[in-house]
Amino acid sequence: MNQPIHLRINGADYHLEVPTNRLLVDCLRYDVGLTGTKEGCSVGVCGACTVLINGQMAASCITLAVAADGAEITTIEGLAQDGRLHPVQQAFIDYGGFQCGICTPGQIMAAKALLDVNPNPTEQEVREWMMGNLCRCTGYYKILESVVNALKPGQGAKA
Amino acid sequence: MTTSYQTIGQPVSRAEGPDKVTGAALYTADLNLPGLLAGKCLRSPYPHARIKSIDASAARRLPGVRAVLTGQDIPENLVGRMLRDFPMLAKDVVRFVGQKVAAVAADDLDIAQHALNLIEVDYEELPAVFDPVEALEAYAPVLHPNFMKYAGRADDPQEHPNAMARATWGIGNVAEGFAQADYIFEHTFRTPHQHQGYIEPHAVIAQVDGQGRLQMWVNCKTPFLLRRQLSEGIGLPQDRIRINPINIGGDFGGKGSFMDSHVAYWLSKATGRPVRMVMNYIEELMAANPRHPAVMTFKTGVKRDGTITARHARLIFDSGAYGAFRPQKGITYGIGAIGPYRMEHSQIDSYLVYTNKVPCGNMRAPGAPQSTFASECQIDLIARELGMDPYQFRLHNLVRDGEESPLGHHWRNFMGKPTLDAAVREAGYQAPKMTPPDLAADGGDWKVGRGIAVCERHVGAGSSTAKISVDGQGQVTLYTPLQDTGAGFYTMLRQVVSEELGVPYNEVSLVPWSTDDARFDSGVGGSRVTHVGGQAVYGAARAVRAKLAALAADLYGWPESQVVFKESMVAAAGHQAVSLGALAARSGGLVEGDFTYDSERDEDLTCFTAQVAEVAVDRETGQVKVLNFTTAQDVGTVLNPQAHQGQIDGGVMQGLGYALLEELKHEDGRISTLTFGEYKMPTIADIPPLRTVLVQSQSGGPSPYGGKAIGEQPISAVAPAIANAVLDAVGASVTQLPITAERVLQALRSQPA
Repeated sequence: MNQPIHLRINGADYHLEVPTNRLLVDCLRYDVGLTGTKEGCSVGVCGACTVLINGQMAASCITLAVAADGAEITTIEGLAQDGRLHPVQQAFIDYGGFQCGICTPGQIMAAKALLDVNPNPTEQEVREWMMGNLCRCTGYYKILESVVNALKPGQGAKA
Repeated sequence: MTTSYQTIGQPVSRAEGPDKVTGAALYTADLNLPGLLAGKCLRSPYPHARIKSIDASAARRLPGVRAVLTGQDIPENLVGRMLRDFPMLAKDVVRFVGQKVAAVAADDLDIAQHALNLIEVDYEELPAVFDPVEALEAYAPVLHPNFMKYAGRADDPQEHPNAMARATWGIGNVAEGFAQADYIFEHTFRTPHQHQGYIEPHAVIAQVDGQGRLQMWVNCKTPFLLRRQLSEGIGLPQDRIRINPINIGGDFGGKGSFMDSHVAYWLSKATGRPVRMVMNYIEELMAANPRHPAVMTFKTGVKRDGTITARHARLIFDSGAYGAFRPQKGITYGIGAIGPYRMEHSQIDSYLVYTNKVPCGNMRAPGAPQSTFASECQIDLIARELGMDPYQFRLHNLVRDGEESPLGHHWRNFMGKPTLDAAVREAGYQAPKMTPPDLAADGGDWKVGRGIAVCERHVGAGSSTAKISVDGQGQVTLYTPLQDTGAGFYTMLRQVVSEELGVPYNEVSLVPWSTDDARFDSGVGGSRVTHVGGQAVYGAARAVRAKLAALAADLYGWPESQVVFKESMVAAAGHQAVSLGALAARSGGLVEGDFTYDSERDEDLTCFTAQVAEVAVDRETGQVKVLNFTTAQDVGTVLNPQAHQGQIDGGVMQGLGYALLEELKHEDGRISTLTFGEYKMPTIADIPPLRTVLVQSQSGGPSPYGGKAIGEQPISAVAPAIANAVLDAVGASVTQLPITAERVLQALRSQPA
């Protein structure tokens, strides 16, 4: 059964007809074509599919698209503005916070959600917040550095 | 580290960074093609069964289903990376839970899943064997009666019908060595399946084009080898198969197997449409290609003063139901099992055995984390029995530069002692052990301990090729058949070009090749790429440089040997410099250079790793907390410090997961840890403070600028270092991974009072 929904994704309006069992991750990736959001575990554990729904961090692989009807959604594609990377994105480059890149969109969205409410997190706060974003490449050390330093003054001067 | 290089060794960040932090980087599952169908496989629910019949008629009638295939519908060819023992779809027999028995292509995944539910398979269960030691008993069911007819098998006769390979390595005569010993120790150790844990599951898109040619996008790090494996299975000549470049979302050895590639081809051929198959993570944990479990018995003879007289290791690696996911002939696992210790008599007997479980494949340093766990844990058990400090015991027996290894190699510039000393110093190994105040305040009966483990591993070898072009605008483009697994070589290779041609590394454009564009490439893996890929690119850069220098000499009369390349300019002393682009423009077209590099492994060169874990163990609950971890790596020139450290960080944490958390648990052949909720990998909350010491080896390695290797080196010693620290803390010897609280408690309770 299809249902009409309206999503505001990265500032643009989308009026879609989706089956009621359509997952938000599939809706974003395949109905809208925003493949920056990744699917890893499919059970809401690995965090690769993390997006912001009305500013709140959410696992899009266990969220129904119809449940997001009317919501404002931010995906990784929505962070850079006018070709300028968001400071979190820049920090992940500067501090080496990614390797293969598959978990990176989710890591960055989770980090942004944290920094939106806490621009100067401690290492401990980052560890607690980012526990739901698995990464197998980096051992997390450089992710931790990236997030802790993302909004510090002079960020970007490193390297 | 300071070097005389412009970009080599400098702390540069990833050139491929912007694509990966914005979501622009494309992976296999991201691609869309017109008419794309969803493919999915039906998998066996039984560990060993005969397929009596399959009725797919209801599935075929379901609207939206475009093809249903069973083993009856495709050729019976067996496929494999080396040993070809794996049917593309099971026809008569299934040998593990999760084996593919039928495949569906449908308009979408929901329809495909529904269709799978409509396929009726009638099975007759057969006796199964799950334990690799039991599989070698006379009474064990024979899993592959036709083994001797399989292509790609080891040449030797089989010792037991379930032993797919056996190898023996060593020197001297262990019986003689044991006769010289004052004490002989024997211990058995067990390790579990470890999944590589890449976050991107296996994915493939196959499209048979209008000319009957197979176009494939697949997260495979060895596309040239896959092309051959496909050809053997589907019967198309290799030049009718093109594997296209794509980003790979994590590898760790696991992305070299074909998985659904053959089936995707058959579905595309049957439907005339492109088919995408993405394994979900339940399928990944059930039926991909995890690290082999092992059962390992080590017998070691020592003199009273701690001198090792002989070591014998009997290693049984559990391959699961097939051997098709291993790229080597026979068995290579366990070749370093004895450890880097001096002795005149050594013997390793290594077996690869069939069981009715998930087929195993390569994972980071395949074979080594298993045998290093056993070997290094036993070293500590022996040292403690002799009343020696494990560090002193190791120093006493460690091979020194110029001496013979226990397999008879003469490692050049062997860095064992300086690396071990560096780890011990950096870790404060000999400092007093204090329970951290927060743990002490937490209650429990916490004790702190420290443990050492060491290992050594080769620099990888193989073949790669590269091309570099410079155009009239000065744009430098690097072409490589290597696919990006994420380790950082797409930046490192650009740095090599930058260094030789004097252009900024992040202005070098990198174009990955398909399998049509090069003759061959060994692919990513085996701690190979900095060496092999690096030398191919270095050779291509030197070829372009030579052409440009000759052109400058020709055009401007500069002495060819004095032409320098710097800041995108070409210059010679006393002359007006010209831009690279202006010079290239004078050639009348692109200036190009290519190079193919082939190498054999240098057995006399190795990379040494020494690690120290500091843990706290709660005697009441058995809980283990890693307080600190130190790794010392013997390195040559580090080409990219950020990527190099990234390999160390990731390798250590993957080792920490192996030590404490990770295990595919089985119940009668069924894996019960089928999501990341149950298969627990380390999270950011689990990481201990990590100290790294890089110990410079003077001779360096075979990579350009004297680099060695780092991808596989940091992982193998982690688990034994932690196990030895637990032993040091509370006297509990845990001989089976992972080191769970239950196992620690059990070991504590089995101690003599």
